[in-house]
Amino acid sequence: MIRFEGAAKRHPDGTVAVRGLDLEVPAGRTTVLVGPSGCGKTTILRMVNRMVVPTGGRVLLDGTDVATLPAAQLRRGIGYVIQQAGLFPHRRVIDNVATVPRLLGWDRKRARARAAELLELVGLPPETARRYPAQLSGGQQQRVGVARALAADPPVLLMDEPFSAVDPLVRAGLQEELLRLQAELGKTVLFVTHDIEEAVRLGDRVVVLREHGEIAQLADPHTLLTAPADAGVAAFLGRDRGLRGLGLRPAAEVPLAKLEPAYDGWQLTLDPEGRPVHWVHGGRSHPVPVFDPARDTLRSALDAAVLAPSGHAVAVDADGRAVGAASRAAVVAALAESAAPSPQAGAGAQVNHA
Amino acid sequence: MLDGEPLVRWRWLGDHLGYLAGLTGDHAVIALVPVLIGLLLALPLGLACTRWPRLYQPLAAVFNVVYALPSLAVFVVLIPYTGLATRETVMVPLTFYALAVLLPTTVDGLRAVPEPVRQAATAMGYGPWHRLAAVELPSAVPYLIAGLRVAAVSSISLAAIGALIGRGGLGYLFVDGFQRTFPTPILAGIVLVALLALVCDLVLVAARRLLAPWAAGVAR
Amino acid sequence: MNWLTWLNDFFAAPAHRSGPDSVLHRVLEHLVFSAEALALATLLAVPLGLLIGYTGRGLFLVTALTGIARALPTLGLVTLAVLLAGVGDTAVLLPLTALAAPPLLVATAEGIRGTDPDVRDAARGIGLTHPQTLFQVCLPAALPTLLAGARTAAVQVIATATVAAYVGLGGLGRYVIDGLATRDFPTTVGGALLVVLLAVAVQLLFALLIRYATPRGARTVRVDEPAGSSPALSKESI
Repeated sequence: MIRFEGAAKRHPDGTVAVRGLDLEVPAGRTTVLVGPSGCGKTTILRMVNRMVVPTGGRVLLDGTDVATLPAAQLRRGIGYVIQQAGLFPHRRVIDNVATVPRLLGWDRKRARARAAELLELVGLPPETARRYPAQLSGGQQQRVGVARALAADPPVLLMDEPFSAVDPLVRAGLQEELLRLQAELGKTVLFVTHDIEEAVRLGDRVVVLREHGEIAQLADPHTLLTAPADAGVAAFLGRDRGLRGLGLRPAAEVPLAKLEPAYDGWQLTLDPEGRPVHWVHGGRSHPVPVFDPARDTLRSALDAAVLAPSGHAVAVDADGRAVGAASRAAVVAALAESAAPSPQAGAGAQVNHA
Repeated sequence: MLDGEPLVRWRWLGDHLGYLAGLTGDHAVIALVPVLIGLLLALPLGLACTRWPRLYQPLAAVFNVVYALPSLAVFVVLIPYTGLATRETVMVPLTFYALAVLLPTTVDGLRAVPEPVRQAATAMGYGPWHRLAAVELPSAVPYLIAGLRVAAVSSISLAAIGALIGRGGLGYLFVDGFQRTFPTPILAGIVLVALLALVCDLVLVAARRLLAPWAAGVAR
Repeated sequence: MNWLTWLNDFFAAPAHRSGPDSVLHRVLEHLVFSAEALALATLLAVPLGLLIGYTGRGLFLVTALTGIARALPTLGLVTLAVLLAGVGDTAVLLPLTALAAPPLLVATAEGIRGTDPDVRDAARGIGLTHPQTLFQVCLPAALPTLLAGARTAAVQVIATATVAAYVGLGGLGRYVIDGLATRDFPTTVGGALLVVLLAVAVQLLFALLIRYATPRGARTVRVDEPAGSSPALSKESI
């Protein structure tokens, strides 16, 4: 567990980055710091591994003031992932990942074996191991960055906008991967981002910051989206926070109806395995928007219903076979239901209540 | 004017192979030892300049001027200290020329480490010296080798001018040929100087492939 | 050290005060000769550099030429030129020009090529022709780089002109070479010192020119790399 006790940072020129932060970051969970640029979120993150030394208050790691630990020793026990990955250009991928184990005195063979394990864990093919960082794509570099941070199995992981520099598609993949990893490893993750979407997607708890590192709201993602603490937070969340909130609820909340032969003249064609192929009406055909109740969110279900020419979202199972349908009205009815959320959506939207 | 003397007398070349080899060896020592010393001086100076950035501007300005000094003039000014026709008289200025090229490249190389990489290293628990040895110096290698290529080739061609004060390796062939109106040794000298430069350059390119494989075939 | 006495001897000698061997005359000779070589090199290299830099074609030629030029020994070229063409200023002017041209060529080509592509694009977009773009947009932007190349060339020419006194050229090299031949150290050292002063003065002159040619907002850009090293250390050689 990380605990900030009145932690403050004032620059030598007198400007205040963080006025005095009190915050508890629970072990084994993902806590996201989110806020506009200049709100001090990176400074707060870097106080943990002493890349920034507080000018007031203190930061405790499992009860020990980090200021009392030797910097190098402290840092080797904390994983750190940054936006541009910061891979060593002169070392092969495998040796980049093996860096901290080697610093901790592991022999080369053991460190490399561990590094290979981690590359697999973050979903990189084994042949990447021999490459140099410049030979990888941005997304791959970021995966290597995560693998490197995890190499010595540190209990704490600091992530500073790790996915901001990659394109949206790759970012979504990396986020998914992080959720999967976190479900498996249960690290104490402190994650900084300016992207509220990313914050609610990844965080078990989200800390919305104002200027000078002041906490505007600390809540689980669902509470944040449905009950922002004040107008400032609401504005930061954006106008479509209601829609975003749907992204935290499982599509399983939508009641499914049996597939019917036709809807308003639109017929669903299936392949021999039972997977939907087209919506057909007269001579027109249209692709079939689908959702998977077991894995997708309410937002996907609504999206599919809106896009379907027949007005019915088709539900599919993990193999892509059609298992039912939901009308727009049914989806909307599901949205209106339950002020009390039951957010155990699929991998895409994991939420654990604090 | 040549008065019927051929441009190249092949017999002379054949008869003087050992002599030419000896001059080439002498030339290599006079030209390249200063480059090595220049490198040994550029590293600590470059490190000091990255550590205390204020040092760099004045040092760069001084070497800028030094580099522009005509070599013959510098050789001559040194004669009272190092003697006429000694190796040192030629090698001391060449060392400064090499340093003038290598200092900026060393500094550029050490500064070439991107800030995120530096920070990542610190965050993983590298101390400043450890980081220097494990991250910054290796990253500077391609820059250093680029600087060495320029310094070595320039040094090889400049060393020949030492012949005018009596110690210039292959440069002696130019003086000798000119005095005897005999172009063969001059041409041989030009070719050998160029060849020596080429060989050095190729060796350095190979060294880069070996020492900094990440720099080749990565960006292009 | 008897440095001061030597210098005193050198400057006090009557022959060095007036006549063909006077300091003023030798300095002028050196300057005129260097300027001729530089002008000739400029006429050859700058138009070619503009063309290569603007079209982006033939850049390999530029790289190859600089490499070769750096590797060729000036003393060898000068002695060979005189043996082939006879004693005379023209015989020496050619190798000097050949040595001054490559740095100018590289600087021009790289300077033009280094113009912000967006700026070039915008110039074309608002209706400038290719020549207008080159001369009104690229050339002013490339001027500091070009002048840095000219400085390298000038310094090289001044140095080589000193060496060329060995084959009979006038200028300050005369003192150095004649003094060496007769073991007359005051003359040699005095001449060498004058060459050094001349080289430094030319450097300063070019530093001023470069400063003047650089737009005010861009003056923090470093154009004062050691002469000769900067063009060679462009990215592709790393």
